Amino acid sequence: MAFLQTQAVVKDFGKLRAVNSVTLDIRKGDVHAIIGPNGAGKSTYFNLITGYHRIDSGKVLFQDEEITKLPSYRRCKLGITRSFQITSIYPKLTVYEGVLMAILAHRKASLHFFSSAKKYFKEDVWRLLEDVGLEDQANAQGDSISHGDKKRLELAITLGTEPELLLLDEPTCGMSPEETETTITLINKLSQVRGLTILFTEHDMGVVFGIAKRISVLHQGTLIADGDPEAVRASEEVQKVYLGGAA
Amino acid sequence: MEQHRVEKQASWLKWKWWLILFLIAFFIAPFILTEFYLTILCEALVMSLLALSFNLLFGYMGQLSFGQAAFYGLGGYTVALLVTKLHFNFWLSMIAGVLVAGLIGLIIGYFCVRLRGIYFSILTLAFGQLLFFIIYKWHNFTGGDDGIQGVFPPEYLKSPTAYYYFILIVFLLSAFVLWRLVHSPFGQIMKGMRENSVRTEFLGIHIARYQLITFVIAAALAGLAGAIWVPFYRSVAPFYLMWIKSGEPVMAAILGGPSTFYGPILGMFIMTFFHAWVLAFTHFWPVIMGTLILIVIFLLPGGILGFAQEKLRGRRSKGT
Repeated sequence: MAFLQTQAVVKDFGKLRAVNSVTLDIRKGDVHAIIGPNGAGKSTYFNLITGYHRIDSGKVLFQDEEITKLPSYRRCKLGITRSFQITSIYPKLTVYEGVLMAILAHRKASLHFFSSAKKYFKEDVWRLLEDVGLEDQANAQGDSISHGDKKRLELAITLGTEPELLLLDEPTCGMSPEETETTITLINKLSQVRGLTILFTEHDMGVVFGIAKRISVLHQGTLIADGDPEAVRASEEVQKVYLGGAA
Repeated sequence: MEQHRVEKQASWLKWKWWLILFLIAFFIAPFILTEFYLTILCEALVMSLLALSFNLLFGYMGQLSFGQAAFYGLGGYTVALLVTKLHFNFWLSMIAGVLVAGLIGLIIGYFCVRLRGIYFSILTLAFGQLLFFIIYKWHNFTGGDDGIQGVFPPEYLKSPTAYYYFILIVFLLSAFVLWRLVHSPFGQIMKGMRENSVRTEFLGIHIARYQLITFVIAAALAGLAGAIWVPFYRSVAPFYLMWIKSGEPVMAAILGGPSTFYGPILGMFIMTFFHAWVLAFTHFWPVIMGTLILIVIFLLPGGILGFAQEKLRGRRSKGT
């Protein structure tokens, strides 16, 4: 059964067709990579799934329920959470508060008006911070930590909503090799321990072939290949447009 | 983590003594101040409530309202009309003032929270001026530009000292409730919306709904400020709703520091007392106020308390 399904989704920006009739099934529990050259429509495709952009035509189904027209906050409540390519955190809040935000929102405590927020979900926040390795920075302000740490903070924030489907837009973009390594381990752990379904885009082919169980290739908004890593690597069309024959 | 907790506690202890000192000063003020300055103190407290309500939107939610005085005026007019025309009970009139301001806040807020930045500010300004003109022109109901006179409080609150204590208690209770609010989970979400509304929406938060709740709370609080002021001043006039009045909490917040809870109160106290003092020898108050604001913006970015807090934080992180 498809966990997430997009049926012939289309998105136009003026005359440019950014996503051209993409039909794709994401299976539950998969670590699924969307790859493609710059401007292939990966981020736009993400934005259609999470509700950041409105869909021009086609349908999105999550666990057999149509979510095509749902606003993004409703999709999040259903269990779809995302990270952004340009890291999206809370610059003037502490690392701790950022993660707390997510848990408050998810556990329906966000409409408590009179009790101290500091008393909420302490253990859960600390556990998440430990999971991503940020416990030493808990009291640092969001904009004062390193780029790699910001990426990890964003990951912790997205995990705070306890998603079932996690969309990561270039999770290792701008990271050092060591940071990339840690992130890969973390993503692997998340999919295995929590049984998360993960959909991600990535430029680094090492990362893609290292963790993805399935790979879909977009080129100029069109899906040109979809399958397990071996099949995609072997596809002639993919080599022609994207891997440049180097693989 | 342990160390952080200890540090927090130490700073809280320091704060507690300041707080107690201020409370004592407030409670003995009527025995020290002349009646003139007691009146000014009353005004400062009421206007501080308005500034706090404004800063809930500006400092915590991150939206600049230019129509906060409209709710202040609505609270005042509701009380004035109920007391003079219907001889309504004083306390019920107070509650009605808060409710009317909150209700109109719900209607106006419904439209405003859909907008961001300058568009939000302009719309609050437009709605504020709309309400001002309705009250200004509706002569046979609101008294038009004459306003409404003869709004008396009950006998036991007629002396300035008694009314001062009434204002003080309302102020302290409201400030306490607000302090709890901004430190609650809801307050945390509010700060999150200010910092990054897109991220917050992708946590499953319906931004417009949360901003509307905040808007209504702020409107009701401004209404309360107007409701308690009018019986003290015995009258109400249309300019209470005007954009110039809405500018006062804006300036107070910038002066005192919008990123801090107490900043707008400090700003309003400085403005109100300075105003009273300066008027004794010149009528060019706006020029002096403008200069003061300029000095703060250039020399103390973040406002007086905001700047002090930043310095303190910098020193502390250097020290450890």
